[in-house]
Amino acid sequence: MKAAGNRLADAVREQERGLLNCVHCGFCLPACPTYRRLGDEADSPRGRLYLMQAVVEGRLDAGSDAFRTHIGRCLGCRACEPVCPSGVEYGHLLELARQVGGGSRPPPLLTRLLPRVFGTGRIARPAMFLGRLLRASGLPALATRMMAGRAGGEPHAQNPGRLRLATAMLAASAPAREMFHKPPPAPSGRGAGRTAGRSRGVAGEASHAPGTMREGAPTVALLTGCVQAGLFSRVNAASVRVLEANGYRVVPVRNQGCCGALHAHGGDLDGARALARRNVRAFAAAAVDFVAMNASGCGAAMAQYGSLLAGDPAVAERANAVAGRVRDISQLLDERGPVAGAAVPVRVAYDAPCHLLHAQGVADAPIRVLRSVPGVEIAPLDGAAECCGGAGIYSLANPRLGGWIGSDKVRSVLATGAQALVTGNPGCMMQIGAGLALAGSGVSVLHLVEVVDESYRLGGLYERAAR
Amino acid sequence: MIPASLTRSLVGACGRDGVIVDEDRLVVYESDALTAYRHRPGAVVLPRTTAQVRAVVRAIAQHGLPIVPRGAGTGLSGGAVALDGAVVVGTARMNRILAIDAANRRAVLQPGVINSELSEAARPHGLHYAPDPSSQTACTIGGNVAENSGGPHCLKYGVTSRYVTGLTVVLADGSAVRLGGRGRDAPGYDLVGLFVGSEGCFGIATEIEVGLLPLPEGVRTLLGVFDRIEDAGRAVSDIVSAGLLPAAMEIVDGPTIRAVEDSVFAAGYPTDAEAALVIEFDGMEAGLDADTARAAAFCADAGAREVRSARDENERTALWKGRKKAFGALGRIAPDLLVQDATVPRTTLPSILRGISEIGKRYRLVVANVFHAGDGNLHPNILFDRRDRDELERVERASGEIMQLCVDSGGTITGEHGVGLDKKHHMPLIHGPAELRAMWGVRRVFDPAGVMNPGKVLPEPPPAGGARDGSGVQEGRPATAAAARP
Repeated sequence: MKAAGNRLADAVREQERGLLNCVHCGFCLPACPTYRRLGDEADSPRGRLYLMQAVVEGRLDAGSDAFRTHIGRCLGCRACEPVCPSGVEYGHLLELARQVGGGSRPPPLLTRLLPRVFGTGRIARPAMFLGRLLRASGLPALATRMMAGRAGGEPHAQNPGRLRLATAMLAASAPAREMFHKPPPAPSGRGAGRTAGRSRGVAGEASHAPGTMREGAPTVALLTGCVQAGLFSRVNAASVRVLEANGYRVVPVRNQGCCGALHAHGGDLDGARALARRNVRAFAAAAVDFVAMNASGCGAAMAQYGSLLAGDPAVAERANAVAGRVRDISQLLDERGPVAGAAVPVRVAYDAPCHLLHAQGVADAPIRVLRSVPGVEIAPLDGAAECCGGAGIYSLANPRLGGWIGSDKVRSVLATGAQALVTGNPGCMMQIGAGLALAGSGVSVLHLVEVVDESYRLGGLYERAAR
Repeated sequence: MIPASLTRSLVGACGRDGVIVDEDRLVVYESDALTAYRHRPGAVVLPRTTAQVRAVVRAIAQHGLPIVPRGAGTGLSGGAVALDGAVVVGTARMNRILAIDAANRRAVLQPGVINSELSEAARPHGLHYAPDPSSQTACTIGGNVAENSGGPHCLKYGVTSRYVTGLTVVLADGSAVRLGGRGRDAPGYDLVGLFVGSEGCFGIATEIEVGLLPLPEGVRTLLGVFDRIEDAGRAVSDIVSAGLLPAAMEIVDGPTIRAVEDSVFAAGYPTDAEAALVIEFDGMEAGLDADTARAAAFCADAGAREVRSARDENERTALWKGRKKAFGALGRIAPDLLVQDATVPRTTLPSILRGISEIGKRYRLVVANVFHAGDGNLHPNILFDRRDRDELERVERASGEIMQLCVDSGGTITGEHGVGLDKKHHMPLIHGPAELRAMWGVRRVFDPAGVMNPGKVLPEPPPAGGARDGSGVQEGRPATAAAARP
């Protein structure tokens, strides 16, 4: 108990240093999706920082409704950070605020439960299996089609409800088979850690086409993730293939797990640290050049392992080293060209995941990679830099506001006339996919690497490599 | 705390989610961008329409409570601070552009529209809204009207009052009046002119008609780098004296340069310089290069160690971002800052800049200058940490001396930030009792009961026929910024 009290005090002191950077200029207000819609200062980054400051000053109770409501209503999209002239590290302060808030009154059940499910392998694996089973039954997709178009009315009144949304999100995690005439040759249902191992067995170093993988090729380990491994194993498998096609040697890392991002966002920093330690040990032992991310939420979290574990001398140094090697897969591909494949004639819109654009500052690499795929036409997407409302488990925890933000995103996607929406994070894929499906739209949602993978598959790059 | 009957009326007008009465939630409305003042409002209302504003104002007036209009809360004079439990009427939800009439170069908008978003909306029509406060990506047109806001390009284009052509205003009793509009020169008295810059004391503008300008055909942006800030001041004075009319001339001093270059808005100003002078010319392509070359020559003559021109739009944007985000970037140096807004005759710039630097040294304070040099509109930012009591005392004294220095040199106490709460007590430095009485008279016409943003702009009314009044001068202002800290 004493230790918990001290940690709280440390967190508060740490907050004060960061908070004092805020000069209250208000430049963050228009960047904030919740302030733009609600118009209440308390739902703006500046207002939330002010609430934190009030808690630090001891004139506001961290367990008060005001603190919990407005800190809880933050998406954590961090769009306020790139527009902040003072460099306030808002995302970090938010996590501390949620920890402090959670210390005085526990957060809602869902916010506590879901990260625990994802973070615990022996729960996550059967849960994801059941999810895949349900998804394979076609029932969620059918239910989504039946529910489509029912959420009419004003955007701010479009609350799909948790169950409908969860159903549609599960359906949206399925591969877009109608998009590409044949699903990529990926066996689903296996973790890509294993896929990577196998693919190395099948298409090992020596078997690669000359030039694509030489001696001394940069080594990469892929974070296979929790949701990614459970529901998006095709994206993991595609990631391994496109990395190898671009001359990286993908090294399987077995003892890895959930990155802990959702725990940190929810204020469970201890839970996040426990998961981070495991990953730091696993990835440090792999001694790779890069740690590749195909889920930008995880990428942002792992890139901050250094500061998350700064207080733990046993792993701090390794945490820093691992964090420094974290790259989004778009960066790794961009770095190598990437290799060109066959034409994929499709009109797409690109939505920038917040934790790629705002948290990691990766803006151009995904666009350049998309442009490198022959035949792809990129339609400009209004508000591409704004959060889709998915924000981890936000749309499930806050269905009304998440639904409102999501429906605005769906409207701008539909306005582009694109056949597919491309992004780089599973949460965004499910949120936007669910929104599109519930709006009765046939627009598919794809991960960036799925597009590249399809181009390589059509171009016969994999056959050449295997030969 | 407001009476329950008032809460009911407000909820009746704006809905439950449009009324905030929970003390804890009201904390965030204590301050605008000048955090030295903190006063928690009695309630906050967030209406969406003129009708809702009328209903809200009527209800508050009936209860005899004061009203404070608030835009984005980016003001730097404490104008949106709610004294005495006033009810804040926020315009954040009134954020629709109602019409853009491209042929007549007009736009009609609600007060909560963000300044830069009006220009963005006008761009496809080849138009823009000229006044560009440095906070333009966040501040709202309603606030611009209240403060008669300026900005870097007001050197050539003029301030807000030049662009507002019509207003729908809700007065203190809840009635709505329509001022100006339907033509350049409405017959009768110029009530629009009177209202613009009234700092929330005359009423709440709920619909604003503004003029738009065509986008300039060409733009040239120069950066002059100086080792002495006085030299940059001299260059500015020389350029204007020579008859050149730049669209903007801005000086960013050494401490500010270093803060900006540390931030995400790094502009490429050399960090060892003592002043960066950004000069912009715009308009017809023909002649732009000649003007730019002449200005560059004046910079070199004044002692610039380097003069360069932005090569493309990216460089130009970077130069401007550095300038426009400078205020926020200063947060990197110290937790608190007090920004002043004095305007002085341009020719006195070199001596005043020297004087300010001496005052800063004498009080052992960092004073960072970033300002509209072309207009002689200074923004000395005194950096401090409010937790240091001794430092606070020095800040107050230095601030007073800087203000006095500017006034003594023929300047005035505000250029564009308004008087608000912060400069109210400086008003007698500029205006005598007769002028102040005349201003009170005008204010009483709009607001006979004295409920609109009371305690702002004017010191308490001098006794009838009395001499220059000093007693009420400090009213409403904490002796030091620390006193405002609970």
